[in-house]
Amino acid sequence: MFEVSEITEKTKSESLTMESIPISKQSEATAGKIKLDGPASASQPETPITPERAIIQSRDFSFFYGSKMGVEKINMDIEIGSVTAIIGPSGCGKSTFLRSINRMNDLIPQTRAEGVLSVGGQDIYDKSTNLVNLRQQVGMVFQRPNPFAKSIYDNITYGPKLQGIRSKAKLDEIVERCLKAGAIWDEVKDDLQKSALALSGGQQQRLCIARTLATMPKVILMDEPCSALDPLATARIEDLIAELKGTYTIVIVTHNMQQAARVSDRTAFFCLGKLVEYGMTDKLFTNPREQATEDYITGRFG
Amino acid sequence: MRIQIRQTWNHLFTVFSSMSVVLMVAALLLFLVPMLGKGMSAVFFRGTVEFRKMQHDLYGLGSESTLQKEIAATQAARDDIYAIFDRFSRGIDTDLLAGEAKRLYRDHGDELRYQNVPKDEYTALRKQAKGIRNHLMDAFESVDKAEIFEHLDAVEAFKSDASLKGTSVEKLIAMAADYRNIAETVDFSKRADYAEELDAVEEELFRLFGPRPGVERALAMESYGATRWDVVQKHLHQLVWQESWVLSEDGQQMVQKQVRRDDPKEGSFAGTQLAPMFALVEETVSETLRPRRTFYWRYFVQDSTPGHYFGGVGPEILGTLLLTVLAMCFAVPLGVISAAYLVEYAGENWVIKIIRVCINTLAGVPSIVYGLFGLAFFVEYVTAKQKCITSASMTLALLVLPVIIRASEEAIRAVPRTYREAAMGLGAGKFRTFATVTLPAAGPGILTGIILSLSRAAGETAPILFAGAVALGPIPDFAGKWWFQPTRALSYGCHDITVGDKLAMMVPHNQYGMVMTLILLVLCLNIVAIVIRSRMSKKLRGY
Repeated sequence: MFEVSEITEKTKSESLTMESIPISKQSEATAGKIKLDGPASASQPETPITPERAIIQSRDFSFFYGSKMGVEKINMDIEIGSVTAIIGPSGCGKSTFLRSINRMNDLIPQTRAEGVLSVGGQDIYDKSTNLVNLRQQVGMVFQRPNPFAKSIYDNITYGPKLQGIRSKAKLDEIVERCLKAGAIWDEVKDDLQKSALALSGGQQQRLCIARTLATMPKVILMDEPCSALDPLATARIEDLIAELKGTYTIVIVTHNMQQAARVSDRTAFFCLGKLVEYGMTDKLFTNPREQATEDYITGRFG
Repeated sequence: MRIQIRQTWNHLFTVFSSMSVVLMVAALLLFLVPMLGKGMSAVFFRGTVEFRKMQHDLYGLGSESTLQKEIAATQAARDDIYAIFDRFSRGIDTDLLAGEAKRLYRDHGDELRYQNVPKDEYTALRKQAKGIRNHLMDAFESVDKAEIFEHLDAVEAFKSDASLKGTSVEKLIAMAADYRNIAETVDFSKRADYAEELDAVEEELFRLFGPRPGVERALAMESYGATRWDVVQKHLHQLVWQESWVLSEDGQQMVQKQVRRDDPKEGSFAGTQLAPMFALVEETVSETLRPRRTFYWRYFVQDSTPGHYFGGVGPEILGTLLLTVLAMCFAVPLGVISAAYLVEYAGENWVIKIIRVCINTLAGVPSIVYGLFGLAFFVEYVTAKQKCITSASMTLALLVLPVIIRASEEAIRAVPRTYREAAMGLGAGKFRTFATVTLPAAGPGILTGIILSLSRAAGETAPILFAGAVALGPIPDFAGKWWFQPTRALSYGCHDITVGDKLAMMVPHNQYGMVMTLILLVLCLNIVAIVIRSRMSKKLRGY
């Protein structure tokens, strides 16, 4: 009980710091004005996402690759401190949506976004959004472990150094804290100068998560973080997600429905670029509202 | 059936691909092995006493006392040869003898005046001396043996005259006796031929032994004889053998044939007093030149005399290194930055497409065009009309720029997108991502481009031809403005020593030596770059 209250304390304080992000444009997504237009299951009486607790808000958000539509008119709120899973068949736009949250899709030429996607009340597709700031607040873990070809220590300190932290003592402290939070400290503490590429795949992925934690993000996006890992490594990552839950808001895209059921509080089901169903994980997996959802989770899809 | 066809195709492919590899290796060996083998003769050879003399005089190497002993010993052996030569050449070069006779006659007059001889007696003595001199001169000029001996007899009639003892006239009579000896063996009808052949013999003796003691030659290349055993062999052959036209067997045609100069039948010095000299030179050549196995590693360090006649390729190596390194200093940052711009920043519009086409075209422009451009632009406008290291290396940089840009572009493009995403996901900007993540990851690929262009820059002649390379020039003066000096370079040196002048024909070991040095230098540069690259990729792989 004590721990829970501590987490709540922390979340509160963090939501306060979130206010300090320079807000360039107060969109209609500002607290209080939001009308939840989500699926019925999302507004179940026992699990309401009050506007105050919604850290990510998507209003009629569409994303285009050239003329091809990636996702279409997504309306979705993500609760602060929760784990949200996004499932769906390949090419349904779940990764597109996830990568839109920290504008990682900008790297692809000729892309375009419509509608509103806000993080912490700030419309991130506004022209004046500071991308560096956004990406420090919204960290990302990728499908394949992608540590830099540097030492473990340098991998963790890459983000803090970008934020201007130069003090050796402070960096040491961050490295230890993040590696411990990433549940990899015990395995690498003896040789932090070892190349990160010498680690195993599972270790590399945990290192990547630890590296993401080092920039003190509010949100961590995980794009199929376990798809390149064996079951044991996957289990360790899932444990890690459970540990990080509460402190960080986690959005995870996964193909593995058991995994979604195990780790997430809420689950969204995407299909053909549209959000089909969004609700409490237990409910979605046991009693889906939509026929498409049921077909998909029972394996009758397609 | 289909499986069989497929297998046949596989076998054919294997055979052809392995054959092409074998062919390439064979061609490489065919080219490199003789080149390096001959080039090695510039470093490993049998050096003669002349070589050691040259090293001592020009570079102050070797011990003075042992060298002097060696020179004294060889000089003693050479004196015998020169004695025969001088004796014979006196008979042929009668101008010399006539001059000497005239001098002795004048001396006689001085002697008489000094002794205050009474006038009548003086006139009589002078008349007598004049008669002797004239007989002697007639003997020198004549080519008829009978006439010569007649004149000599007339001179030698005075031999018994006691009053002439101790005077210069006695020396004139001695000359007559001497000349009689020569005349007995020389065929005076061939005197002109002898004179011509004798010049050739003297030239070859000079090539072997260098200038005679006490004679100073102005040119550095004429200060020493044959420094190397292979050169000794060559000149020895030219000394002993002559080319002569002889009747072929059927008596119809004249054919060219090599004959010994002292050959009893066909040699031009057959039966003369000079004939024994050739055998003597051959027998004593190891005495007169003292060849010794030499490892001349200083070849890579020492300066050379003009025309690369003696000495090494030190300044050429230094110049090539300076040019190559400077060219890389200009080209690499520019190339990598351009590549980064093209990949990371530039979109895909028609301007960029034109730029890409231009870069590809530049890579195919002949190097001589770069050389002319270097002259017209860098020399003219950048370095204040001075052919110098800076303008030459800038021209080279321009030459390798397209290669570096293309290689870097490919390398940067090949960096996985996840690397960039990882850095950007942590909040790095575009430049930070490039500098800290993309560039290090692309490092090995960029280095490959640098290796390719390094070899090219080191070996190119045409671009530096007009822009700053010289065949004969100062060693870069590092205390002063060395970047405004022209420099020697291996590639240009190879060109110059091959086509430069007739001297080149006399130093084949240096031609090959310089080419070998260039190949070895490029090899060394490449090895350094490859080691750096493998370390880099090892670090990138992480184990």
